[in-house]
Amino acid sequence: MGKYEVKLFPSYSEDNLWVRKMPDGSYKIGITDFAQQQLGEVNYIDLPEEGDSITKGEVFGSIESSKAVSDLIAPVSGTVSEVNEEAIDDPAITNRSCYDNGWLIAIEPDNWDAEVAELMSADAYKAFLETQE
Amino acid sequence: MITKIQTYISQAVNPYHNLAVEQYLLEHVEKGCCILYLWQNQRTVVIGSNQNAWKECRVTALEQDGGFLARRLSGGGAVFHDLGNLNFTFLVREEDYDLERQLQVIGTACRNLGIQVEKSGRNDLTVDGRKFSGNAFYHSNGYAYHHGTLLVQVDTEMMGKYLVPSKAKLESKGVKSVKSRVINLREVAPGLTIDCLKKELLSAFSQVYCLEPESLSADAFDEEIIEQYFRRNQSYEWKYGRKIPFTWERDKRFPWGEVQIQCEVNQGIIEDILIYTDAVDCEFPAAAANVLQGCRFYREDLEIRLARLKMEESMKRDILELLTE
Repeated sequence: MGKYEVKLFPSYSEDNLWVRKMPDGSYKIGITDFAQQQLGEVNYIDLPEEGDSITKGEVFGSIESSKAVSDLIAPVSGTVSEVNEEAIDDPAITNRSCYDNGWLIAIEPDNWDAEVAELMSADAYKAFLETQE
Repeated sequence: MITKIQTYISQAVNPYHNLAVEQYLLEHVEKGCCILYLWQNQRTVVIGSNQNAWKECRVTALEQDGGFLARRLSGGGAVFHDLGNLNFTFLVREEDYDLERQLQVIGTACRNLGIQVEKSGRNDLTVDGRKFSGNAFYHSNGYAYHHGTLLVQVDTEMMGKYLVPSKAKLESKGVKSVKSRVINLREVAPGLTIDCLKKELLSAFSQVYCLEPESLSADAFDEEIIEQYFRRNQSYEWKYGRKIPFTWERDKRFPWGEVQIQCEVNQGIIEDILIYTDAVDCEFPAAAANVLQGCRFYREDLEIRLARLKMEESMKRDILELLTE
């Protein structure tokens, strides 16, 4: 058991974001437990708006914690269908519940199957975390 | 692992240019290389990436005195710069980022000058419990920088003049600044100059990384990219127009009556405004609100809009002062 929680269902990027097709059919993006522990208490989140498009590998927003701003790199491409207002109002929810209530945005993916295939599974991400630090 | 170190010392004192160079250097740093960039700004308030300019700084007073308001990419609160302050930035690839080692450069330079440095929290450097260096960080797509101020001989009176909370009641999300007790290094190292500190930093950089630095020349920079960042840095949209909506409220009694103004501002533009007064000329509040709606929340623009109103010039001036004081 590592010191970072890695959930079974999402797929993971090397930028420490997760994406997941949720049981309700939506496609959500959030930060991993490793990311939130590295960041420390999140105090501001800048996210795109509903209807904006995001492109895999490009910046789509940023997170501020302890005087550090970290850009968020899109793990997949798509159009933003929902923004988690709760996370904007209470940014530290991404620390408390990074895989659930602390999700960031939901998207309508452009090319889900192909792009997700390029991401890591839970096991691969665990192995990736071993190589960090 | 760092196998090469480079230095660049800006000769410019314009904050929009210097911040443009900082971003350019970040995007061009090579793997295995650490760049130390030293720069100074003339009278400037620099706000954090996610701050509200009006909340953190007396923008009208600052600009009327010929100062600049600038926004940086890193987080944290508002800081004041003048030529008594020296800024440093360490720029690296993410895998080469080493905050402890970078801070060691600053610590070593200070110790070589006989200054006993303490670390306070994660981000500040202090002497006798007073802050002389505030540090902030930016991470983007595999690149990272760590930068900070070094107060040598800053005009603390000016600092106090501009970095005061607005008299208005301002409700905004954004990141709030934290007030700190500051100290100029000259208080503990009499005779210290910026040039002398620069020299010590360069030698400490070499000492800590056990490498000989190579100095970068601006001739090799892509002017077009720097120009593009410069233009963005000085634009109203960048400085004031961030997507951080806020409500603003103030009231004041003038000889001609009491006025209360409430505004909703988004992306630097007044989206909604209400004006109340007990003055006898009861036509003007609605007319003024009407003319100010959709206006940039910025003195020059507000003045032009108010000029369209048919009302006493002195009352217009009072309203303008109330909105921008």
